[in-house]
Amino acid sequence: MDTENILEIIKRSDKNRGAIIAILEEIQATYTYLPEAALRLVAEETGHSLTDIYGVATFYKAFSLKPRGKHCISVCLGTACHVRGAQAIVDEFKYELKIAPGGTTPDNEISLETVNCLGACALGPTVVADGHYFPHVTKGEVREIIARTKEEMEKINTETDDRIFRLPLSCPLCKASLMDPDHPLDGHPSVRIDVSANGRKNPLRLSSLYGSGAVAMEDPVPLNQVSPLFCPHCDEELPSFSICPECGSPMAALLVRAGCAWEICTRRGCRGHLLNLNQINLS
Amino acid sequence: MKTFQTVAAFNAYRASFLTDKNEEKKPCIVICGGTGGQASGSNDLIRIIKRRILEQNLHDKLSLRVTGCLGFCEMDPFIIVEPGYNLYPKLKMENVPKIIDAAVKGEVVEELLYREPGSTVKRYSEQEIPFFQGQTRIVLGQNQHVDPIRIGDYLKMGGYAALEKALEKQDRAWLVDEILKSKLRGRGGAGFMTGRKWEMARNMKNGGGPKYIICNADEGDPGAYMDRSMLEGNPHAIIEGMIIAALAIGASDGIIYVRTEYPLAIKHATIAIREARRLGLLGKNILGRGVDFEIEVFHGAGAFVCGEETALIKSIEGKMGEPRQRPPYPIEKGLFGHPTCINNVETLANVPYIINHGAEAYTKIGVENNAGTKIFSLVGKIKNTGLVEVPLGTPINKVVYDIGGGPVSAARIKAIQTGGPSGGCIPASMFDLPIDYDSLAKAGSIMGSGGMIVMDENTCMVDVAKYFMSFLKDESCGKCFTCRKGTQRMHEILEDITEGRGTPEHLVLLEELALTVKDTTMCGLGQTAANPVMSTLRYFREEYERHIEDKKCGAFVCKQLTGAPCQAACPVDTEPWRYVAMVEKGDYEEAYRVIRTANPFPAVSARVCDRKCENRCSLGVSGGEAIAIRAIKRFVTDRVNPSVYKPQRARKKKKEVAVIGAGPAGLTAAHGLSLIGYGVTIYEAENQPGGMLTCSLPAYRLPRDIVEKEIKTLLNPNIKIEYGRALGKDMTLQDLLNDRFDAVFLSIGAHESWRLDLENEDVEGIFPSIQFLKAFNIRGEELARGHVGIIGGGNSAVDAARVALRQKDVTSVSLFYRRTREEMPAYEEEIDAALEEGVKVETLISPVKIHVRQEDIEAALKEGVELETLVTPIKIFSKEGRIIGIECIKNRLGEVDATGRRRPVPIPGSEFRVELDTLIVAIGEKPKSEFLASMGLDVNRGGRLKVDRKTLETSLKGVFAGGDLVTGPNTVIDAIAAGKKAAKSIDRFLQKGKIEKAAAPKLPSTYIEPAVIDETEAQTARRAEPAVLAPHERVKNFREVTLVLPEDKARAECRRCLRCDLAFTRDKSASQAASHTIEGAKHD
Repeated sequence: MDTENILEIIKRSDKNRGAIIAILEEIQATYTYLPEAALRLVAEETGHSLTDIYGVATFYKAFSLKPRGKHCISVCLGTACHVRGAQAIVDEFKYELKIAPGGTTPDNEISLETVNCLGACALGPTVVADGHYFPHVTKGEVREIIARTKEEMEKINTETDDRIFRLPLSCPLCKASLMDPDHPLDGHPSVRIDVSANGRKNPLRLSSLYGSGAVAMEDPVPLNQVSPLFCPHCDEELPSFSICPECGSPMAALLVRAGCAWEICTRRGCRGHLLNLNQINLS
Repeated sequence: MKTFQTVAAFNAYRASFLTDKNEEKKPCIVICGGTGGQASGSNDLIRIIKRRILEQNLHDKLSLRVTGCLGFCEMDPFIIVEPGYNLYPKLKMENVPKIIDAAVKGEVVEELLYREPGSTVKRYSEQEIPFFQGQTRIVLGQNQHVDPIRIGDYLKMGGYAALEKALEKQDRAWLVDEILKSKLRGRGGAGFMTGRKWEMARNMKNGGGPKYIICNADEGDPGAYMDRSMLEGNPHAIIEGMIIAALAIGASDGIIYVRTEYPLAIKHATIAIREARRLGLLGKNILGRGVDFEIEVFHGAGAFVCGEETALIKSIEGKMGEPRQRPPYPIEKGLFGHPTCINNVETLANVPYIINHGAEAYTKIGVENNAGTKIFSLVGKIKNTGLVEVPLGTPINKVVYDIGGGPVSAARIKAIQTGGPSGGCIPASMFDLPIDYDSLAKAGSIMGSGGMIVMDENTCMVDVAKYFMSFLKDESCGKCFTCRKGTQRMHEILEDITEGRGTPEHLVLLEELALTVKDTTMCGLGQTAANPVMSTLRYFREEYERHIEDKKCGAFVCKQLTGAPCQAACPVDTEPWRYVAMVEKGDYEEAYRVIRTANPFPAVSARVCDRKCENRCSLGVSGGEAIAIRAIKRFVTDRVNPSVYKPQRARKKKKEVAVIGAGPAGLTAAHGLSLIGYGVTIYEAENQPGGMLTCSLPAYRLPRDIVEKEIKTLLNPNIKIEYGRALGKDMTLQDLLNDRFDAVFLSIGAHESWRLDLENEDVEGIFPSIQFLKAFNIRGEELARGHVGIIGGGNSAVDAARVALRQKDVTSVSLFYRRTREEMPAYEEEIDAALEEGVKVETLISPVKIHVRQEDIEAALKEGVELETLVTPIKIFSKEGRIIGIECIKNRLGEVDATGRRRPVPIPGSEFRVELDTLIVAIGEKPKSEFLASMGLDVNRGGRLKVDRKTLETSLKGVFAGGDLVTGPNTVIDAIAAGKKAAKSIDRFLQKGKIEKAAAPKLPSTYIEPAVIDETEAQTARRAEPAVLAPHERVKNFREVTLVLPEDKARAECRRCLRCDLAFTRDKSASQAASHTIEGAKHD
């Protein structure tokens, strides 16, 4: 556990407004659980007694005092899922994983949980594995869900998958192509732009495959830093029309064919992007 | 985007969206990107749509709108194409390009359009779909027009116009008045008048301190998701509602409290707040009108009780979410001690509508004291799951059947549950109840936040009560002792009942506890915690009693009472899993013994059993195909010589029993009694044994030699049969009892057909189905000729139709049935076979003014209705004493009746005439039992004999009865079951003092090694269907239609079995093995 990191989390929060829950949520998001030392630190820093902090940490279902596995599978036990046989799904997971809900496999790979309701009631029985929803789950699918969870949910074959396609991009200002055949990424010409960081401009190459997210940088920008992006041809800053839906940072726009824009978040580490099919108005 | 400083500037900006009609002309693809849509794969479709638009350069010709939840979640992922509102349901990625290409050309893709399940009628637009037609979507309807992360979409729809209006006047008391006048009630569930709440909040002075408005989006009620869908799909409506609320009550800060399980709702609300702030609609000096107001999003951390307002406040304050005593109400002392007004998401979403359209318009929707609409999440055992918005006061029937499309399978809907863990169940018999706050409360439930969970016959109400109690015991904050302990104890009692340890005293205790918890707890959670128990006890008490007395769960949900479902379903307690396992191993003789031990009629059952086991097969109910158990039984009985099973017969006792009727019930009882050693004499009115097996079942379903052979195996020296001797004609009950018999078992069946009660019904050429079938089956007489009409939809109607078709003077056979084909009570396959052979089924046609048919007789008798009065007479056309035709009238399906089916309603003016030479009336049978009443027995109007449900004893000592005589027309297997029960009961009666064993669940007890199946086999294996004779091979003869499975197929079919029995025997066998070793070790 990194004390500095936790102090940072506490500092960022609004202590006076009773932000304990938000602090604990952030700590949990970082460590998958609430380590005892972190709770002590929170108590100390916020001026609450450890009893209070412990009370909160044990009252709410979202918190765990035990480390969780690398992957998390939650079976919904809402009423709608229950009447459609969710209990049998839980039993099947218990049988396959040899752990009870709330437990983690000995290899620390998978934690099994039940939740009261995911609000996807029309699709019951519902299972969520690492944020990926499985609707209308049957007992027979349980093994497959476990297997897919273990081998990373979003693994996509960029060569064969229909959902992956190339975006030919150009500068919205000077209209020059940004495609760079000399530095391929994902086996295709990359998209070359410049990023301004550490006091100078550096080339930044993105995969031109929509859905890949691959990036290459010569001089990495520090994580979470928001840096303006430039066209290597006209040297102008790429315009911003939107803010990132994921993190609220400004987004930079690249031109896809006449009028459409691909907008990407300018904060390093954020994967927020929008493929905007509406005409963008440069004036 | 720029920040606006004045209302006028913002108005101009807003207007620019309203006038931009250019966009409207382009076709637009609308797709749900909400949690439900994403879970069903809409993200993939969106990718493909974008790809197609870009690659084909279509962005000038087509737009795409990714919205939040559109409500019709059952059809996800689906696309709606505007302007035609063509809805394409349940799409796959490969369907998308076709739809895009058609949309660009202004065409539709016919084959992908929505149609109701089972129907071929295409619905061209959303407005034509019954699911949408029945709704009034003033709130939810907006979702379709809004991409929640684009404020422009909301403005285009007229969004924030209400806010402009609210900002205009400096005195904002009118806002409170307007909401008061609109009679809007809190949509969170309790239904407090929102206007009253606002009025109190407005009048609360806080000496310059802050005042809060909180939007409660905790939505902890499992099974409800409308708040999530609104916050995800149209967050600006809620933000606008909150700002207006803030203006009305003078709040300075707003908080949206969202549960952490809703990440997308949190994201969309956060983006919307950010965008509103950028436009100057939030923050300091909103649009230059001197008002400061901010909203922030707070994540709940997973506690149901935090939906309670005082707990919610504590949670925001960073404490444990324990409710506190009220007063002071949050309106006086709320968040951090300041006045706080808490409104539900849906309540706030209604506010802009009311301000825009005026309170008067709003009160026109809904009913007295219940103005406006309510959104329900219609989920569970229903065809069209999704979100449904209807005016308050709409009857439950309309929501469940018209909008929801009725049951999802053949199982009937038996109840809905509203209000979540604080609510209750409402039985189907009360579905004409209007849905409003007051009616639901009167029925023992509550409106709640709007969960409406539909339950069918496969839902166990005791299990539902247990489920909610388990939920509540976990979610009780623990502050009040009675809630903390009371919910735990209630849960334990329910566990005892569902696991077979229940006693009648448990129900008394449960009721007492329920009242105590209700009366002695502080917050809403505790006070309503008993509702699930109290409402199920109120409406479904007999289910509790069945669990306790019979140790049976009628819905097959409670595992410890069900064991292997196939076994639990069998009326004669066969262990299908066991003989299926034996066939898999190739031990057919053992398989036969397993079948025969439970059932004296293996070969007969292998042909005509209605297969309750297959209906309950775990494979079938979990979405796969049930094991073909009956076909496997046929395989075994065709192959194995019955002599491999030798029943043990006790030495003859002195006592004698008379059995009346040699049908399946009578023969089974006689056989059973003879084995115990009683002398049995069977009196049979006909000249041959078999009852319904030989006189009504056609030989192509049940070959005569099979019946004869099987009956022969049941006879032994203890049994004597006297043919041609009928009770009432040749002897009386008193004669029998005075003679030498110590007990009598009546099993005379149901051999009288219901009459149409039409004029001319006795002319030549009209036959009751039973008379028609008997004449042919017993005497070989062919009564039908020419054009034959059959009235009715039951098995005997279908049998009669097929027998008629096989008679040589018949030219055509038409079946007239008054409901649709899906509702025909005959077995589905029999109808299919009849159709293949050329029987025309004319559905929705019934003879004029006939109101009663066999299924109604069943249902009505159960309810104690007097039947004869409902039948109205009418003319049949005849000439010279012989039928020449009938007049029919067409029906349409009307309202759903108490049995959950739609009533046929005659269409005036649709009468038509049918020329007929023969008419067979097959609207149902009843026992011919008037003569029994004169012998002192209790016979009801339907001719059925009243007996003790458990012992089959009649009102006369020593006289027992079973089979169709007691139940009305029923299946062969139920008759066999009655015979078995009678034998036990009569034995107990004759050996006075023999102690009755307490009921116990029938669980698998023998461990049989399961077959090893690899994954591919498990996934690819399909149900084995036995071959049948082709129609031309069978239509003019009586050869058996269904053939036997070949050996390889039968054995492969057995490998598909999930072996539900192992859950009960695997552990036991393991521990037995373990204990054997230990014992072995000791001996060493």
